Amino acid sequence: MNDFSLVRKNLFRRKLRAILMIVSILVAFMIFGVLAGFYRAFTAGEDRAAADRMITVNKINFTQPMPIAYYNRVRAVEGVRQVTFANWFGGYYQEPKNFIMALAIEPATYFDVYRSELDIAPDAQQAFIRERSSAVVGEALANKWGWKVGDRVPIQSNIFSQKSGGHSWDFTIAGIVKGKAAHVDTNFFLFQFNYFDETRSFGKDTIGWLILQTSAPENNDRVAKTIDAMFANSTAETSTDTEKAFGKAFAAQFGNIALIVSLVVGAAFVTILMIVGNTMALSIRERTREIGVLKTLGFSGPRILGMVLGESILLALLGGLPGLAVAALIAMALRNSLQNVAPAFSVSPDIVLQGLGMMIALGLITGLIPAVNAMRLKIATALGRG
Amino acid sequence: MGSLWRQVTAVTKINLMSIAQRRWLSLSTVIAIALVVIVLLAFLAMANGFRATIAGSGADDIAIVLRAGSQAEINSTVTRDQVRLIEDGPGIARGPDGKPLVSSELYLVVDGIKRSTQTKANLPLRGIGEQGATLRKGIAITEGRMFSRGSNEIVVGKALLREFDGFNIGSTVSFGTSRWTVVGVFDAGGSVFESEIWADLPVVQSLFNRNNIFQTVRARLTSPAALAELKSYSDSDPRLKLDVKSENAYFAEQASQTTDLIQKLGWPLAIAMAFGALAGALNTMYSSVAARATEIATLRAIGFGGFPAFVGTLAESLLLAAIGGLLGAAATYLIFDGITASTLGGNFTQVVFDFKLSPALIVDGVALALIVGLIGGFFPAIRAARLPIVSGLYAT
Repeated sequence: MNDFSLVRKNLFRRKLRAILMIVSILVAFMIFGVLAGFYRAFTAGEDRAAADRMITVNKINFTQPMPIAYYNRVRAVEGVRQVTFANWFGGYYQEPKNFIMALAIEPATYFDVYRSELDIAPDAQQAFIRERSSAVVGEALANKWGWKVGDRVPIQSNIFSQKSGGHSWDFTIAGIVKGKAAHVDTNFFLFQFNYFDETRSFGKDTIGWLILQTSAPENNDRVAKTIDAMFANSTAETSTDTEKAFGKAFAAQFGNIALIVSLVVGAAFVTILMIVGNTMALSIRERTREIGVLKTLGFSGPRILGMVLGESILLALLGGLPGLAVAALIAMALRNSLQNVAPAFSVSPDIVLQGLGMMIALGLITGLIPAVNAMRLKIATALGRG
Repeated sequence: MGSLWRQVTAVTKINLMSIAQRRWLSLSTVIAIALVVIVLLAFLAMANGFRATIAGSGADDIAIVLRAGSQAEINSTVTRDQVRLIEDGPGIARGPDGKPLVSSELYLVVDGIKRSTQTKANLPLRGIGEQGATLRKGIAITEGRMFSRGSNEIVVGKALLREFDGFNIGSTVSFGTSRWTVVGVFDAGGSVFESEIWADLPVVQSLFNRNNIFQTVRARLTSPAALAELKSYSDSDPRLKLDVKSENAYFAEQASQTTDLIQKLGWPLAIAMAFGALAGALNTMYSSVAARATEIATLRAIGFGGFPAFVGTLAESLLLAAIGGLLGAAATYLIFDGITASTLGGNFTQVVFDFKLSPALIVDGVALALIVGLIGGFFPAIRAARLPIVSGLYAT
């Protein structure tokens, strides 16, 4: 019998108590896993934003339009490698509650600017450019509705109207766009801006925002200043920012999600710290006499210390690891319904690593005082007590 | 029966008095339950405050007219001709001068800077018609004055002024190249309008290049029942075909998405945490039964029944849970009630709201705590009732 089996036996000597503590630790790590995974996915946009990509929007607010002429003027700015643009459509399918993230885009340049994320087959892109009323659909969205290449799909807008009066546009699907990595959100529906611009009843010749790629991230500042200076004092002044800064500011509009997440995780951990800490102390106190016996048998103080800490760390791992596993299952189950808010919601390896660190810390904190007490215990007092 | 009652009270008293002997374990249960209640009530108070702000904004005798299917004011577009047709529609109240009490409006989003984070945030700039302010209940200018018609002046809601930088009276605000002077601050009884900037409709239309474009029409109805008349008038005219809703119904829809979301987050989190706290409570109560094994066995030996032991243990657990629940509710009230937050609402603009803890929510929180206490006490109580007398007497 080595020290580890002694530790294991000690931990499960009162089975029910051990199981209850494991459950409470499991719950805390499950909450941690789900919330950390959600937060990571929610802010993934800003973390993974390409360093050389920038967004130009109307200075008043990004919902205000800009003249389409800006596209060619920005193309000419030195240090800009590629520019594309998009316009929000406010799309939905069949019913208003089936929101579709639909954008009118410039088909030749859009996939160049997003080439590190989006994967479109060259012939699909050619077909998309050739056929004016065609659209390409992100893989996740296509799967959601079972759309295939060649399908004719009516998408309605909650903002725009056709010149002919309706709110619905029919598109033929020319291709499916895949993400180049798991974190890329492919919940989108893209169609040709020119077709949209000619058929809509108002807003002609205006676009929503420009997406540009600089020749190198070092040029970002200079390019932004040049662009914004170029349109200063015009009817539509602009504001150019890196994609990262833009995404961050937008996420902040929902509120301080980071604070909410840390408060809840904090509350869950304070709870288990107290419960587990007190129970560990209690269970070591109950074993005072035994520890005295172990010492009599020649177990050194440090070895006893190690065994008690080993017990509390084992307990934390037994609760924490399944907790993270449950969190991973929950993330998998919620991934589709949270697609628009937190794409690729998952418990990533770095969250698991962080969780492991927290389990060991939890084990050390809850075990430390009982362990030190046990280490310092004098044989005479131990055997004399109780 | 009387003796059973006496037994129950006696054992319960012993149970409760002995809590002090297990103070650390008991305290950790109380705090664990309190934290569960705090998490639950903080989310519910957030949802409740948000709903109170939005849903409290509408009136049932005001009709709001939007483009069909547009769902929110920000998406809607209504043409000048449609505005005229609505003004002539049935069921709309008229002023002493015979003019319809109608305000056609523009709803634009402009950038502001949030004080707490110093980041850009979407703020609503509403161009309102002559009747705009009177069509909303309880609008009062608390500082300065109303904007004068035809000038580029704005008035701001007091919640917006509090949460966002640069809107003090007398300051100049630029939206793109247009410049505006803040001339007044208004109170709107805590409604969503307090998160808005108001200006004269024609001025907004011209400075934002939206000539002859409107987004919504608000109209005072002769009575709430007149809504149906206006609705069928719009439905039967092919030039209109607009969504006609009561302002009340419109804001209820606007509030529901966000409040549902907050509640859908709060309840599962609190319930998950309650399982953790339940494990703690069970642990504490089993320890309590174990610690009092000799005592319980002694009582049984001198003729006490198993039932009093059951009740005593359950009462101890419920008391700890009740203290935890009330402590949690009190802490939520002290920490969260009344704090101001803002988030993106259904119109894609910031809505400023206060966390609001209500008695009904406190009942929810304490009920959750008591459920934890009930389950956490029930099984240990059974063990206490069934404790074999002999082994109990020899337990150390």
